[in-house]
Amino acid sequence: MALGRFVLKRALQGIVVVWGVVTVVFGLRFITPGNPISVIAPLDASPETRQAIARELGLNDPLYVQYLDYLLGLLQGDMGYSYISNTQASAQVFARLPATLELAVVATIVAVVISIPLGVLSATRRNEPADYGATLFSLAGISTPNFWLGIMLVLVFAVQLEIFKTSGRGPGFVSALSMLVTQGSAAGLLSWLSYITLPALALGTYFTALITRLTRSGMLDELGSAYVKAVRAKGLPETLVRYKHALRNTLVPVITVLGLQLGTLIGGAVITEAVFDWPGLGTLVITSITARDWPILQGSLVVIGVGFVLINIAVDTLYAYVNPQVVYE
Amino acid sequence: MISPRTLGNLRREFRSSALAKLGVLIVVVVVGVAVLAPMFAPHDPTTQNLDRSQLPPVGFSTTTNSTSTEMVNGSLEVINETNEINATLTYPLGTDSLGRGMLSRVIYGARTSLLVGLLGTILAAVVGVSVGLVAGYYRGRVDDTLMRSADVMLAFPSLVLAIALVGLWGRAAWRVPDPLVVAGITPEMPASFVLPGTVIVVVGLVNWVWFARVARGEALSVREQSYVKAARSVGASNSFIIRRHILPNSATPILVLGTIQVAAIILLESALSFLGFSGTTLSWGFDIARGRDYLASSWWISTVPGIAIVLSVIGINLLGDWLRDALDPGIGGEGGSGGA
Amino acid sequence: MLEDRAGSEDAPDGSGADTTTADPILEVRNLSTQFFTAEGQVNAVESVSFDVYDGEIFGIVGESGSGKSVTALSILDLVESPGRVTAGEIWYRNPDLADDMRDSHPEAVEGEYVDTRRVPTGVRRSLRGPTFSMIFQDPMSSFNPSITVGEQLAEAIEVQRRARANPRSTRSRTQGYGLGRFLTDSLLPSRSYVSAESRERATGLLDQVGIPDSAERAAEYPNQFSGGMLQRAMVAQALAGEPDVLIADEPTTALDVTIQAQILDLLADLQDEEDMSVIMITHDLGVIARMCDRVGVMYAGEIAERGSLTDVFDRPVHPYTEGLLESIPDPDDPAPRLQPIEGNVPSLIDSEMGNRCYFADRCPKAMDECVAEKPAEVDTAGSAEHRVRCVLAEREYDPTRALSGTEEDREREASADD
Repeated sequence: MALGRFVLKRALQGIVVVWGVVTVVFGLRFITPGNPISVIAPLDASPETRQAIARELGLNDPLYVQYLDYLLGLLQGDMGYSYISNTQASAQVFARLPATLELAVVATIVAVVISIPLGVLSATRRNEPADYGATLFSLAGISTPNFWLGIMLVLVFAVQLEIFKTSGRGPGFVSALSMLVTQGSAAGLLSWLSYITLPALALGTYFTALITRLTRSGMLDELGSAYVKAVRAKGLPETLVRYKHALRNTLVPVITVLGLQLGTLIGGAVITEAVFDWPGLGTLVITSITARDWPILQGSLVVIGVGFVLINIAVDTLYAYVNPQVVYE
Repeated sequence: MISPRTLGNLRREFRSSALAKLGVLIVVVVVGVAVLAPMFAPHDPTTQNLDRSQLPPVGFSTTTNSTSTEMVNGSLEVINETNEINATLTYPLGTDSLGRGMLSRVIYGARTSLLVGLLGTILAAVVGVSVGLVAGYYRGRVDDTLMRSADVMLAFPSLVLAIALVGLWGRAAWRVPDPLVVAGITPEMPASFVLPGTVIVVVGLVNWVWFARVARGEALSVREQSYVKAARSVGASNSFIIRRHILPNSATPILVLGTIQVAAIILLESALSFLGFSGTTLSWGFDIARGRDYLASSWWISTVPGIAIVLSVIGINLLGDWLRDALDPGIGGEGGSGGA
Repeated sequence: MLEDRAGSEDAPDGSGADTTTADPILEVRNLSTQFFTAEGQVNAVESVSFDVYDGEIFGIVGESGSGKSVTALSILDLVESPGRVTAGEIWYRNPDLADDMRDSHPEAVEGEYVDTRRVPTGVRRSLRGPTFSMIFQDPMSSFNPSITVGEQLAEAIEVQRRARANPRSTRSRTQGYGLGRFLTDSLLPSRSYVSAESRERATGLLDQVGIPDSAERAAEYPNQFSGGMLQRAMVAQALAGEPDVLIADEPTTALDVTIQAQILDLLADLQDEEDMSVIMITHDLGVIARMCDRVGVMYAGEIAERGSLTDVFDRPVHPYTEGLLESIPDPDDPAPRLQPIEGNVPSLIDSEMGNRCYFADRCPKAMDECVAEKPAEVDTAGSAEHRVRCVLAEREYDPTRALSGTEEDREREASADD
């Protein structure tokens, strides 16, 4: 089917991008001053010890051999061993992945659920108080650094009102859900909410504001277009004019921009995690940079890059579904 | 490059939009304050004064509990004191944990933000526009290669890449003499200003992709125009056509994108310095990070610089909206990569 | 009675051309539509009156910017901000609707006629489809690009099907379908807004307008259609509600010359079959001559001259009409006789228009009285309906009283008159 071929084509392009990502991640170490051996070896290590470490890590091999080794390792899920803890890097990275995914997914859902109705409301009530309110909110939202918003949320809801937790992740969604199913207790879910609410708000506000802006301007464009006039001339109920026709076409550019802004979402997750001590990939990246723990850093970056490519393919598929013309081009 | 019609559009849009006026006002104030920082700042932003630490902003007061041990009648006694701390007009926005005036720090922080924002954007624009124009003009394999590498760049969130690069390359910074101090106008202020070099290079390098995308799109459409074909048919060189025809036509969208990018890079810089990956301590993000430890006692240390960021970025975004609405470059919501 | 309603208008009481024997289906009286822009108030349509009879094709002809399309949109109540219909009446003959409205809105009812301007918005909206429908100029931009053509036709059928199922409540047609219903209907394919019957009927309509392989074409998107085929689909869509009055706004302008004739033939055939009235809007007098029974010539938001085809083509009074007729190239005499009318349509900004004939600046027969006062619409020779807004209707052109000097002089004089 046409859509299937389209997805396949995007997947092949994605593989090329992933290969580029891995290459950049690998190359990063060679354009960085400092030697990995000094990270691992004790300060007073003898030259023999240092040589032994270098041999073990393959640092004496020619560059292309190291590169192929790294590529082959990745294909088998081997990211090397942490320089600091000497545990499997992939185990550490994948242990952190669910927390980041959970945060990003919840923030995205919150953003989409709030912003699209808000954008539509703003466009259909143009120049009324609701529109001004939504415009002001979205302007402030895209101009606020999410780490500062996070701190302000902590200040208001945790320090002053003492409602939400400000650090850590709590039970996590999956265990909270299984607690609800097996024990019939909502306590886990409530605890999960008390941990995730503030980080999700801090991370999601920028996207809520961005999508509200895009939806508003997109709806205004669509509602002013010739086909909307034609749809109204048919006598269709305004609900269908707005949602089936105008909103659907508005979502096409919204999805495009969302795909482009995914990097911002992941970057935002990194810093939000730092504010709320969220045990995800972001905090792992920051600690591994400070510690020069290359296998962990490289592994995290590869996972982030692959995740970005995968989500982009998903977004493109959604795009093709909403806007079927792209499949035939 | 800027036609009278364009100027007319700008003027008309400016007159009809209150938000555009607000944006210009904010940007003018922020730029003025940043340039003349030594004249506006009431105190040296780096001088510590522990006697005057954690003073609240005007209009607020706080209480602190201090515990001290004193020799009373030959035995050690623990004394609990509750002190009411009132604001003082000397420090209108309060002081931080080391007794430095928040107002002065916010004023000097504007310098860092704007310099990084502007220089980073210029660097990103130069790299991105060059890549984009070449890709769009030559198309084919050159285009594929350059745009695939742009895709690879996009696959790294700019903040993550920036953290990695600054963290790994170190935080080189240059000390730039402050002309106002050197000239003897404000001798009591710091004689030099720290320009965070690595940060500028890195934010420029992680944001060039947006410029490349826009410039490529423009080049692709302009190269099909008949006057470009005519120029080529009379033997004009490729570099001449790019400089003479394609670059000027791309100016409008690049200007609009550049404005949005200044805002995005200011947000990125504040995030970097918040995480400690910066070359200077005179930065809004840095102060927000320091204030986190005092949230319960001195909320203003984190709050004040954050408000400064939000206001400046709102101003620049409004300026960008004005340019976009007046010039209609057709780049939609692309190219902002803020929020970090 | 009709005189009262029509105000200063004479009643179309059946003398003259044979089309006027019955009551008109539509009487437009003193319709004005203005746009409130930053540059000032723009009078896009100014005091326009005309009648449309059962089963006829009424033409509106004029240059671009003369207010033809805005007139059409005003009738359908599709004028959008910053524009607004500011005055006038649109009397539509429909005994059932008149009965429905008589108690709740007596001021909007007169015998079998209803003034659609004075009924509630919901009722006005419900007239789109079964009463008025419209064919737009550019089919490519008038279809939603991301929904199949068949689905878009089926929607138009469905909305009327649902309305017929609930005949007593004109309002429920448009207001009974809220966001909640839409969301649940979208989530369950079995509850989609458009029913299978409507989809089937959509294919049938595509057949009727001469689209081959209609079942397959119905599943295609607008960008897979050629311009001519898509305009046929738009005609089908406009027929979906079995309208009393079909407004065709430049239906052939965006099409190739060879396709134009096909679409016009299609429209003529359908008008015959369905026995509906058509308002044909065009800048092409050739189309008017070929299709229409009666015609109104628009200039600067006003109807400059109207009447039967013979009135306007053979006995034109207004120099603008004469100018339009002279600007048609004559295929039998290809010598360079083509005479374009000098100048352009004025800006229509209210403050710059003044109490004068708007055509005087371009008029070869302009006289002093043309800029002294705006000419009223008056009866003139020809059929009973031949009316013209020109001083020449009542006196001969007198060269000694001709407006002299440059255009600037005239403008200065004109503004001195204000």
